Amino acid sequence: MRSPKPHVAQSAPLRPLLAKEVREILSGRSLWTMLLLLCPLIGYSFLQAVSLYSESSSAALQSPVLANSLSPLDGILVPTLGSFYVAVTLLFPFVAIRVLGQEKESGALRLLVQLPYRSSTLVVMKLVAVILAWLFASLPALSALAVWRTLGGHLSLAETSNLLFGHLLYGTLVGALALFAASIAESAATAAIIALAVTIGSWVLDFTVAGQPGLLAWIAKLSLTQTLRPFEQGLLSGGLVLGIAGVIGGFIALASVWLPPGIPPYEKLRRSVLCILAVAAILGAAIQGGWSVDVTEDRRNSFATTDQQLLATLRLPLVIKVQLAPEDPRYADLQRNVLSKLDRAMPNLSVSLAGSRQYAATGSGDESYGEVEYVYGNRSDVSRSTSPREILPLIYNLAGVSPPPPTAGSEYPGYPLVVSASVTLFWFFGALPLLIALCWWWSRRPRSLRSLSRT
Amino acid sequence: METLVGLLAADSGEIVWRSEPLPASRRRNVLFYLPDGARPYQDQVTAEVVSFFAGVYRRSAGEIDATLTSVGLKSVLHKRVHALSKGYNRRLLLALVLSTPHELLLMDAPFDGFDLRQTRDIIGVLRHHAERGRTFALAIHQLADAERVCDRFVLLAGGQVRGLGTLDELRSETSLPNGSLEDIFLALT
Repeated sequence: MRSPKPHVAQSAPLRPLLAKEVREILSGRSLWTMLLLLCPLIGYSFLQAVSLYSESSSAALQSPVLANSLSPLDGILVPTLGSFYVAVTLLFPFVAIRVLGQEKESGALRLLVQLPYRSSTLVVMKLVAVILAWLFASLPALSALAVWRTLGGHLSLAETSNLLFGHLLYGTLVGALALFAASIAESAATAAIIALAVTIGSWVLDFTVAGQPGLLAWIAKLSLTQTLRPFEQGLLSGGLVLGIAGVIGGFIALASVWLPPGIPPYEKLRRSVLCILAVAAILGAAIQGGWSVDVTEDRRNSFATTDQQLLATLRLPLVIKVQLAPEDPRYADLQRNVLSKLDRAMPNLSVSLAGSRQYAATGSGDESYGEVEYVYGNRSDVSRSTSPREILPLIYNLAGVSPPPPTAGSEYPGYPLVVSASVTLFWFFGALPLLIALCWWWSRRPRSLRSLSRT
Repeated sequence: METLVGLLAADSGEIVWRSEPLPASRRRNVLFYLPDGARPYQDQVTAEVVSFFAGVYRRSAGEIDATLTSVGLKSVLHKRVHALSKGYNRRLLLALVLSTPHELLLMDAPFDGFDLRQTRDIIGVLRHHAERGRTFALAIHQLADAERVCDRFVLLAGGQVRGLGTLDELRSETSLPNGSLEDIFLALT
């Protein structure tokens, strides 16, 4: 043995710490159980999606005009990864909590916090291990996409990457939340209750306040389930990514504050308030940041390129007053077809919703219900249409500019495919679970002691 | 002990090390505490847990081999931690704490789970490290064990310090020239 030497706290290598965290996740049952549950869950979703897509494609092959509505993003990717989202919401917290909860319960945390690492380093390494676990857990979903390609299906690289990136952010968010829950709870069971209360509470929040105006609409936006929707619509939103990253960072900072056991509670509370203020500032900046990219092949979130370019040159504020209740289907149409696209295209846009719930309830109200007023500069016009074909000329007229000439040759072709995926049952319900079980068994095998020969 | 290393918040007081105050930010460089009752990373193989600590403190294979040999852990390195007996779990904890480079090691009930022969073996290991310049502060309920291993004693009872010093100093204080540590403790409390 060598004689004791003073050491510097910041000099410890990160590799052993990360390796330990990865081993800790892989040696537990929760990740493997989740993987085994994911196989039939994703397999069933994928089979259903392919079946429905094939039915729609049959009609499209007989009537080609229907083909351009067949997008694999909506038909295959979103429903298949939707089941993965459900599993991440309900099961992944148990995987993530393990990396900290187990140490708390076994007393290992009292050793860990004495090692020459900052508590933030410890938590970040745990988050990295959790992200690696998410990547591992996504294998059944990724295999479904590979199967789709094997069957002859089309996948757009940009759409697929964007959606997978959204799921990665969501998984990281759930993992960070679980780590925070584990840091404040005494046991893994309590941490699981806290994490699930937030994730399932988000669903409840969505169901109860979705479509409500004012403050309730703002509260609904805080729901975790909202994070995936823009990605599922083919949008890469800078503000959303910044917001999610801010919340993930906030959870990690809070976990770092609450992890060390020797700090008085009032000091932890003080530091927590600072973290929350910082996250609030980031969220504020994220809400202001309207940058987004439409990555869809069919450009569903954008007007035609020439319209986009022309609208971007309209510098005066465009004010839109909508006389519709938020739950009115016409408002949903207007929002999807016009308002969201204008919001991305025009630099200076404000929308106010003047309708109320009573309007929709009575079905009548005054005669102005259903009108949408467009004010640009000192000119205004009113329309009841929800179609951009009518509204864009109206806006151009208000702005005194000529509509751009229509462009040809950029129509989205659609990707109809009639195929049976029954044979993939063997993969999702047989081969893949068996492969995972074998990997699990392999990870539990007795180790050689070579790991100690070089340390 | 947990307060000393910062695992519990202190209400007041300061720690002095080598005649200088030791702030909380520097304690991790000097002190390492071995808690009682910990069973770290139960689903991992014992060798991997040792390897983790060895990697953190950049110990060579030779150094780790010497530590494992001295605490008698080599025969169970292939086992998972949850499969270790209480005694072997204690050996694992000792191997971990002895892998650290700290000058002062605090240990809570370090001989818990050992029989007399094993206790004597571990006492020999601690003595060997002490001769190389390390300091151990041991919390021991069995005063006979404490008398075997320690040079200086702090006798605690009812939250109060009842005696402090070497065995000879305590014998003088209690006028028990041939008294054991147990006799001295009974005389002081």
